[in-house]
Amino acid sequence: MSASLLLQTLVLGVLLGGLYALLAAGLTLYFGVMRVVMIAHSAFLILAAYLAWFFHRETGLDPLLSLVVTVPLFFVVGYLLQRGLISRLRPATLTMMSVLLTFAIALTIEGLLGFFFTGTQRRINLGYSGSSVEVFGAHIAVVKLIAFALAAAALVALFALLKLTRFGQALRATIQHPEAARLLGVNTDRIAGFGFGLGLATAAIGGTALALDSTIYPSLHWHWIGPLMAIIVVGGLGSIPGAAIAALLLGVGQSLLQIPMGTTWAQTVFYIALFATLLVRPQGFFGGRLAQRF
Amino acid sequence: MRLGPTRRPTPRRTGVAATACVALASVVAGCGLGGGAGSEGGDDEIVIGISLPLTGDFSEPGKGVQRGYEAWADYTNENGGLLGKQVRLVILDDQSNADRVASDYERLINQEGADLIFGPFSTRLVVPAAQVAQDYGFLFVEPAGAADEVFEQGFDNLFYAAPAVADDHYNLLAEHILAMPEDQRPKTAAYATMDDPFAQGTAYGLRDKLAAAGVETVVDEVYPPNTTDFSNIAAQIADSDADMVVGGTQYQDAVNLIVSLQQLGYQPDLAAFSTAPTNPEFPAAIGDKVDGIVSPTGYTPEAAFPENQEFVEFFTEKHGHAPSEDEANAWTTGEVVAAAVEGADCADPSPECQQSLIDHLRENEVDTVVGPLTWDAQGRPQSAHLIQQYVDGEIRIVMPTEQAEADFLFPKPAW
Repeated sequence: MSASLLLQTLVLGVLLGGLYALLAAGLTLYFGVMRVVMIAHSAFLILAAYLAWFFHRETGLDPLLSLVVTVPLFFVVGYLLQRGLISRLRPATLTMMSVLLTFAIALTIEGLLGFFFTGTQRRINLGYSGSSVEVFGAHIAVVKLIAFALAAAALVALFALLKLTRFGQALRATIQHPEAARLLGVNTDRIAGFGFGLGLATAAIGGTALALDSTIYPSLHWHWIGPLMAIIVVGGLGSIPGAAIAALLLGVGQSLLQIPMGTTWAQTVFYIALFATLLVRPQGFFGGRLAQRF
Repeated sequence: MRLGPTRRPTPRRTGVAATACVALASVVAGCGLGGGAGSEGGDDEIVIGISLPLTGDFSEPGKGVQRGYEAWADYTNENGGLLGKQVRLVILDDQSNADRVASDYERLINQEGADLIFGPFSTRLVVPAAQVAQDYGFLFVEPAGAADEVFEQGFDNLFYAAPAVADDHYNLLAEHILAMPEDQRPKTAAYATMDDPFAQGTAYGLRDKLAAAGVETVVDEVYPPNTTDFSNIAAQIADSDADMVVGGTQYQDAVNLIVSLQQLGYQPDLAAFSTAPTNPEFPAAIGDKVDGIVSPTGYTPEAAFPENQEFVEFFTEKHGHAPSEDEANAWTTGEVVAAAVEGADCADPSPECQQSLIDHLRENEVDTVVGPLTWDAQGRPQSAHLIQQYVDGEIRIVMPTEQAEADFLFPKPAW
């Protein structure tokens, strides 16, 4: 392996990891706030990608502008989804039943996308799709850079929201100890709804970023949910920094392993990491005590 | 096995047929055991039995094949029929199911009174259907099923009605490259192929021919069909700086790989991808950077064979759009069977007639919409795919020279 290929692969791995990090952050948030395993997260991701593609096709404007609509829309949908459906599940079987419920939602979204947009593979063609900037001999595609910047900005914003605002404090309190939070006057039901909306809003950003540099089709979400689930377990369920770090490490790992092992085997890195984590450190490498209870 | 002139089912089949008849006795009136007692074609018409995947996984191409068959039948009937008789198609839906397709052909031969049969769509369905045809001694010409396994089953009644099997798709390009002067020829080549017998066959056919002639293979990657991120494969190809890149691709994989290669600033002298570039969506997906991309194609409405011009005109008038490859291959199947019928001067289900149809195709060349076709002993067509290339944003035939609409661009313009 030449030095330039190594550098190029590292760069690609970091860019990929950035997108994984944003998507995994949303997924780990649902689990943190509500113990919900959200199988439909990646289906909403693909839905956002389709909305970006549709927006671009209809208006001819840059798909990034669709974020103005999709982010608030997904936040509201997430809130309603949590209040209307998920909060009605019995707490005792919540984790298990949420898998079934969100699985059904994922299938519904996939079916509707197929119905409205057909199964044809779509791609947004932008003037800058093939452009890249060169840094130390490595090419960084402009679209990948935009996707990475979006992901990084969204992650930083999410982190700041959780650490610096009153809402963030309330949300973290709800994650750490819902009963204690309620005793302190936090309306945990509403906060949980907002948390869910926040998670879904990250899917809107991630989906738009994805649509910039990938062909999309209705069943694409199955391809994403596996690696994302593995990432949040490795990172520690409920821990956003943990998910981000695990996403970057596994993204880079997948990229690097592709050279000696080929594409087929490099995909297994997520699952090997998942098994290793469950064997050695079931609570995750970066997370807190949360996962130990499951 | 060979069957008697009365086309009596084999003992095993009689058992099945008898059971089925008992079960269906109250529903189906004409369920005779003699085979074909019910609706056998009269003397004034030739009945052609076909099973197609009109629903299920292959329904899209299945319907294309149906349009092709029906257009051929209409055209034939408007032009005096076959041997002076009108042809009538009996088309059953096998729901893309390999078990169903076999029983469909049994029914076509035994109950629908088919004088001739045409093949279904896709390798998975062609093999069981061909087995039934073989058992009854029927000629079996099929419009789809280019993978190796179709030709390795020992069928002696099968003919694939298309120019070439997957491994031979790039033959004209390979010949062209090998005919170049040593110092202009590409010296290194990178291959990326989907883990799929058809897609791999196309790229490996070219790879093996070039490697034997000394073109060094510097990258040879295989990716699973669900791969969407091609940046790492592209990085390896770009790093190798191979003179040419070949993709054994379907559709989205080619699009993503090409864009990833462009993002990495890789500029090969030759870029060849199977299937995707002939898709009408392709130039829209890649944008204005398609020039020079090469693809083999089994059929294009632009091909200058006289049969093809008639076909395109007839089909376009009927359907309002030019035929696609599935429709053309179906039409080709009709042409091949018709040539055998006229050559052997018979069209009935007797083993003698079917054998003389088979023998005729073994010994003769047939002019079709995809050019003149001949076959080897296993039914592999011995022709070659046309090579198309994007020139000024339009896909044009560049090989063979006698069909060429534009000159082959080598080295290709930068993308």
